[in-house]
Amino acid sequence: MSILKKIRRSALLAAVFLCPMLGGSCSNNPYPAPTQETGADGSPWKVRYGALSEDPRSLDPQVCYDTVGKRVIEPVQECLLEYHPFKTDPYELQPCLLEALPERVAGEGGKTTFRCTLKSGILFHDDPCFPGGKGREVVATDVQYAFQRIADPKVECPALSTLQDYVAGLGEVFEAARKSGEADYSRAISGLQVTGKYTFEIHLTQVYPQLLYWLAMPFTAPVAREAVEYYDGKAHDGIARDLFRFHPVGTGPFQISEWKRNTRIRFVRNPHYRTTTFPKDGWNPARAAELEPLAGRSLPLVDEVCMTIFRESIPIFLLFRQGYLDSMSVGKDAFSSLITPGRDLSEKYKERGVTLHRDTEPSTYYMSLNMEDPVLGPNRKLRQALSAAFNTPTYLDIFYNGVPIVAQQLMPPGIAGHKKEFRNPYGYNLEKAKALLADAGYPNGRDASGKVLELTLDTSGGSADERLGAEFEQRQFEQLGLKIKVVENPFARLMEKLDQGSFQIAAGSGWGADYPDPENFLFLYYSKNIPPAGKNASRYKSPEFDGLFDQMATMENGPQREEIVSRMNALLAEDVPHVLLMHRSLFSLSQPWAPRIQSNPMLEGGLKYAVLDPRQRGELQKQWNSKSLWPIILLLVVFAAASAAGIRAYRRN
Amino acid sequence: MTTLPQDWFIKIDALRSAVSDWLTRSFLPIWLPNLAVLLGTLLLALLVWQGNRSERWATAWRRLRGDRLGQAAAVVASLFLVVGSLETVVFPTETGSRTLLQMLLSGIPQEKGYAAPMATHALSVSDPKPLFTRHILGTDALGRDTLVQTLRATRSALWIGGLTSLVYIPLGVLLGILAAYYRGWVDDLVQYLYSTIAAVPEILMLVAILMVLGKGLGTMSIALGITGWVGMARLIRGETLRQMERPYVAAAKAMGQSHWKILTRHLLPNVMHLIVIKFVLGFSGLVLAEAVLSYLGVGAPVGTPSWGTIIDASRSELSREPVVWWNLAAASFALFLLVLSLNILGDALRRAFDPKSNT
Repeated sequence: MSILKKIRRSALLAAVFLCPMLGGSCSNNPYPAPTQETGADGSPWKVRYGALSEDPRSLDPQVCYDTVGKRVIEPVQECLLEYHPFKTDPYELQPCLLEALPERVAGEGGKTTFRCTLKSGILFHDDPCFPGGKGREVVATDVQYAFQRIADPKVECPALSTLQDYVAGLGEVFEAARKSGEADYSRAISGLQVTGKYTFEIHLTQVYPQLLYWLAMPFTAPVAREAVEYYDGKAHDGIARDLFRFHPVGTGPFQISEWKRNTRIRFVRNPHYRTTTFPKDGWNPARAAELEPLAGRSLPLVDEVCMTIFRESIPIFLLFRQGYLDSMSVGKDAFSSLITPGRDLSEKYKERGVTLHRDTEPSTYYMSLNMEDPVLGPNRKLRQALSAAFNTPTYLDIFYNGVPIVAQQLMPPGIAGHKKEFRNPYGYNLEKAKALLADAGYPNGRDASGKVLELTLDTSGGSADERLGAEFEQRQFEQLGLKIKVVENPFARLMEKLDQGSFQIAAGSGWGADYPDPENFLFLYYSKNIPPAGKNASRYKSPEFDGLFDQMATMENGPQREEIVSRMNALLAEDVPHVLLMHRSLFSLSQPWAPRIQSNPMLEGGLKYAVLDPRQRGELQKQWNSKSLWPIILLLVVFAAASAAGIRAYRRN
Repeated sequence: MTTLPQDWFIKIDALRSAVSDWLTRSFLPIWLPNLAVLLGTLLLALLVWQGNRSERWATAWRRLRGDRLGQAAAVVASLFLVVGSLETVVFPTETGSRTLLQMLLSGIPQEKGYAAPMATHALSVSDPKPLFTRHILGTDALGRDTLVQTLRATRSALWIGGLTSLVYIPLGVLLGILAAYYRGWVDDLVQYLYSTIAAVPEILMLVAILMVLGKGLGTMSIALGITGWVGMARLIRGETLRQMERPYVAAAKAMGQSHWKILTRHLLPNVMHLIVIKFVLGFSGLVLAEAVLSYLGVGAPVGTPSWGTIIDASRSELSREPVVWWNLAAASFALFLLVLSLNILGDALRRAFDPKSNT
């Protein structure tokens, strides 16, 4: 009997527990309340909701280099220059913290000076690191401080290796600091001369027009010394302070107001922001009606941004469907239900007012072949055979729904030197691959003594997708009759192997443009960039290629440069230090209340241009989230029936 | 600073990879798996034949013949054994070595991607191309027939079960029997060893060992063997302690028989039935462990089909639209069937060997 009593009690408990859930108080909204209900002028507070795949590793502007980090730091930390949101063909830079694009003064022997003037009256974010918590004005010495941090070995700035070749004195300061073990911030860098409160000059030892692109990256953005010294990660007066790399203090349109690790990052608008306004020109005339009303408006256009960290891709789609995400990129899971055979948005979502965008990143993905390997290195025909055996279109179909572009050359579309009509001479062609392999000395994958050629394929492993990818890659090469041994590595170990050169074929290499210039891709095969010095993981060494690279690296864009670039492309295509895969492109969606304003891939989201109609969102969210009670009722009925049956069975015994 | 010099790390790493290479490659000679199948078959035949001669085994055999459920389970388990053996026997061909099962099923073509069971067109809303043929259970992401993959994955399960049993049974039996027979410090040592191992969470230990040794069926067996002998040793120690009180042991001792003779002639045969039962029941546990480890991504290497990896891959398949359910269904059903039949068989064997039951 006592058991029966217990059952009754738990049923009662369940009823008490379920009631509020059945009542009207619950909602699908997964977000905390916004920081404010209305803005200062009484207008509704606009919050954009976005997604991140993981926590950024570092938000130190001189360090941050990964995709997630760049996305988070862009709204916070402004740079000296920035990419124009609409002028993408070709890409164009516009001044951001600077008054105007730097004035270039040519000196003797290729020496160049860039004269820069900062806008006056730009304030850092209000932050406890400043006296009184009020942000102070940005001055030229903050840029100088940023360059000193680049040369500080403890900061480990990824831009140093490139910039020290061009900026006068940067390398020497770095070397001196490395020898003494401590960077001396009182020592000036001769290449960065402060000439006034807002003016400074950058002196280069040789011609390097790409410097402008570096000025559009956070590495050279001004940093407040107070912030770096204040945020030391230690406790002061019993209050623990963040590390500077988790607490950036910039001048950007947004400030980070909350960073809950593994959960979300929230940004609120910077009330003092006035560095830039919405551009007045540059858009496609077709969009004039949409964009003209925004021209000249002060930025940002929304008040708050909440980026939620999703480790899995499924919830992103579900939340987008419910209206709780303003945009999403179309992954593999949801592809079939979103995209139709004609590569169009499916009817259901069109009716909802969702818009489909297709973006191509300026990036190239490939598999590296080790040129120093005793088997692969000297045997060009063998590498050509491997390249021709790989069925890239099918690979992209299976793993990327066929959205990306099959890479025919190293240079992605949009970068000077990309030739639309160029076809990789060793693109997929199995018959040709077999013939090449025979020419290479391995007919049917066997060497002269009849032994099967065995090659090792290093992949980064672990997840089911990566394993499938590795199986696919293995099968492609094994079609030739040779044997592929797959080694799955943790990601860090794969990077280590690429650096050490202890691999034959390495899957999962790729390069995304730091800046839209062919030099930024071709340097991947420059012999002076063989690791540890650079990123030439294939260890490609060709005097002809190097010569052409030296010639084109610092040239101005033009037909002559394009000619050299296409010659270098042809060299790579013939030497095959890689199996080219794709230029990544993605479908993404935006909700009707958050139309996409810009899609410049050189911007990391361009959040300050984002718009929102909160009223429409509220209405549609309500419409899309109508409650259905029947699953809970069904569940209760099943539960009740099961308990009744159980009780009866118990009584019978 | 007093850290290890850099080249030490490289040396350690080289040693580690050499060990894992050796472990994962040691089955590569083409005749070895074939030999293993042959030896396995012989061993099984020997066991049955030997068993028939002993009275206790003959009784058990008689009882088992009356147990319908047990017989059905035995048939199912043997079917798995046959499929696994077919996948293990390797033949050299023009285009690399193939397994017997692959050759038998080579008529089934590979598609370009997913296909639903018995579908005529590929599973793609955007581009449903016609398939080469119908697939009874559909195909996986790379267009391989799900039924074939599921059958091929039997091999991983059986290899893990078999190889691990070869590691943990001798170890467990030896240590268990010695501990109980000699008592004293031997007992203390063995108990200390297995208590220590049992104190470490098993899955953590397995993952740690696999991270050091590298992926592969061989390394997985060793890892499972290292953690798995504890249960066996405990069981055998307990049973041997019980047997030690029996008069026949005292009689053997009184007659001046050597320790070795007592251990092998008297004690071992009397705990043998426990070993068989534990082997069968443990086998299903090992099959499950293989699936779990492969699911965690530290199990079967690339190119070795395994139920765990199929189930792992289906995690993202279930969230697709339309849902790809057949891979998960096929692999889980096969796993379920093998584990269930082994458990029923184990129970049947236990009943058959139980001296208390008189039916």
